[in-house]
Amino acid sequence: MKYIASVDDQSFEIEIRPNDQLVVNGEPVEADFQSVGDQPVYTLLLNGESFEALVYPSDRGVQVLLRGRLFDFVVEDERQRRLRQSSGGAAVQSGEYQLKAPMPGLIVAIPIEEGQEIKSGDDLIILESMKMQNELKAPRDGIVNRIRVNVGDNVDQNQVLLTLS
Amino acid sequence: MFNKVLIANRGEIAVRVIRACRELGMNTVAVYSEADRTALHVRQSDEAYLLGPAAARDSYLRIDKIIEIAEKSGAGAIHPGYGFLAERDDFAQAVEDAGLIFIGPRPSAIAAMGDKAVARATVTAAGVPVVPGTEGEGDLRNEDLLDLAPAIGFPLLIKATAGGGGKGMREVRKLEDMPGLLESARREAEAAFGDGNVYLEKLIEGARHIEFQILADTQGNVIHLGERECSLQRRHQKLLEESPSPFMNDELRVRMGEVACKAAQSVDYLNAGTIEFLVDKDENFYFLEMNTRLQVEHPVTELVTGIDIVKEQIRIARGRKLRYTQEDIQMNGWAMECRINAEDPYANFIPSTGVLNSVIPPSGPGVRVDTGVYAGFEISPFYDSLISKLICWGETRGETILRMRRALEEYRILGVKTNIPFHQNIMDSTRFIAGSFDTRFVEERFSMDTPEDEREHLTTIAAVMAALVAHREGQQAAQIVRRSERDTSNWKWVSRWERMNR
Repeated sequence: MKYIASVDDQSFEIEIRPNDQLVVNGEPVEADFQSVGDQPVYTLLLNGESFEALVYPSDRGVQVLLRGRLFDFVVEDERQRRLRQSSGGAAVQSGEYQLKAPMPGLIVAIPIEEGQEIKSGDDLIILESMKMQNELKAPRDGIVNRIRVNVGDNVDQNQVLLTLS
Repeated sequence: MFNKVLIANRGEIAVRVIRACRELGMNTVAVYSEADRTALHVRQSDEAYLLGPAAARDSYLRIDKIIEIAEKSGAGAIHPGYGFLAERDDFAQAVEDAGLIFIGPRPSAIAAMGDKAVARATVTAAGVPVVPGTEGEGDLRNEDLLDLAPAIGFPLLIKATAGGGGKGMREVRKLEDMPGLLESARREAEAAFGDGNVYLEKLIEGARHIEFQILADTQGNVIHLGERECSLQRRHQKLLEESPSPFMNDELRVRMGEVACKAAQSVDYLNAGTIEFLVDKDENFYFLEMNTRLQVEHPVTELVTGIDIVKEQIRIARGRKLRYTQEDIQMNGWAMECRINAEDPYANFIPSTGVLNSVIPPSGPGVRVDTGVYAGFEISPFYDSLISKLICWGETRGETILRMRRALEEYRILGVKTNIPFHQNIMDSTRFIAGSFDTRFVEERFSMDTPEDEREHLTTIAAVMAALVAHREGQQAAQIVRRSERDTSNWKWVSRWERMNR
């Protein structure tokens, strides 16, 4: 099976053959890949070189933390890639965005209002947790659609705080 | 004299104090909140008593309950650790009033140094230089602060009167920004300390944050254990400390050490404490504040001086004379501490909570780990995000950096995001290695981006691993579907089929 892993503007073609043979960008390599103790820790021996990394699959792709570097990969197999290409590429900048609480905490301030136009990087909500005030910022430009919490609310992790359109 | 110590704290520092007590042959009493029933300090102490619900104000800040437990358990002394009640003179006073010993300074010294205005006036009178600002002018309103600001000059800092740990602190570049920043500083200070009062202080640019460890006994002897370099900070929260400071020379150390001892004597100080200074590039130094308690970063001093500061604290509290004179204190080698926090360095250092499903601490020569967590423990949102302190010692600064690099690579913490990658990047930073950094280094001249040459090879490796994991996930998903297609035996299917047709 062929996979295309892309990060930023680079992409890599990785083919996994049925007998676990590996071809990276057209070059066959000798690889041994194992997970360690049922954890998201993986050890890879590649042409004799030893690597260990934390790998977390997420809804947006695969995160790899290797030697103190974090890589956010989008991994697709050939079919997915062809589908995406025929649909003219994913529209990242549109659609509704839901701001979710990254951790449980207390809403201390909401410096914006419904209907307000905001820019990427603006503070949307100040959430207090672990004795720190954390500014939750807008990931992109947009308009505040609906604010679902009030100052003083205690929120759970992943609770939707507001939506942007 | 006491033989049983109550530790009014949690986390790694409670464990640290328990260890010192153990080595001195003393019994320990832990206190805990409902969230900490299975925390390490509870498991390791001889006795442990519940304080109350998880929120600090209902548990670790309950002076009445802590003293009641001390009396009930027969503990003769209370060690406050750092944070929580450690710098509350009313707590130290309540401990004394109950006829118990407070392992720390006298209430009057905590009060004098805790009120920064009084602190500045006191040390100024003793001939110690301070940073220009409005500390000591009382609690001013926004209008007054806005009037006074131009006289101090920009840039300046808004700081919380009751503050510490960077909470309620804001930096002001120009007068127009000030009203908004005053509001947010007051709001944060109010939330953190229940006191929204703030003051202004001139921001010294290119400043280094260097502090001196002090020990003082009941007989009036005061010595210092050298300096700690704490300039690596983010939002005024220390992230990495080392001793000695790469900026220090012998002559400056003697001068600053003497001033530090003088500052401590000016409030009739007792036990362990720390004098914080700002040092500019011309070796001018200014008194910043005194921390009237044990510091988070005390281990780096322990490793270079060989002195167990917590055990010294207990000895001093028992009325012993200091075992060292200033001449006995020698600094040997180099020590460095990385604060390992549950926060995501790739997402604006936002705190991360959850259950630690695996913890493998580093070990080997020159490595020390002070921690209060273990695999299976939950990092809750109620307390700060410090998981552990990784401390390394080496003969030289170079060896220490290489050792820290190695130890960081060994460290495995799974379940929450940690700032280990941040420290790894710092250890690779040429400016850090060269020792040329100030308190603004992390925020202004440091990025988590990887240098190009190294990145290329690693990216390929990471891509391979990402693809392999995606492949595995896909295969597993396929298997689950296949298995559930028909989860019982064919014989059962036949019998069900027959019953249906009856």
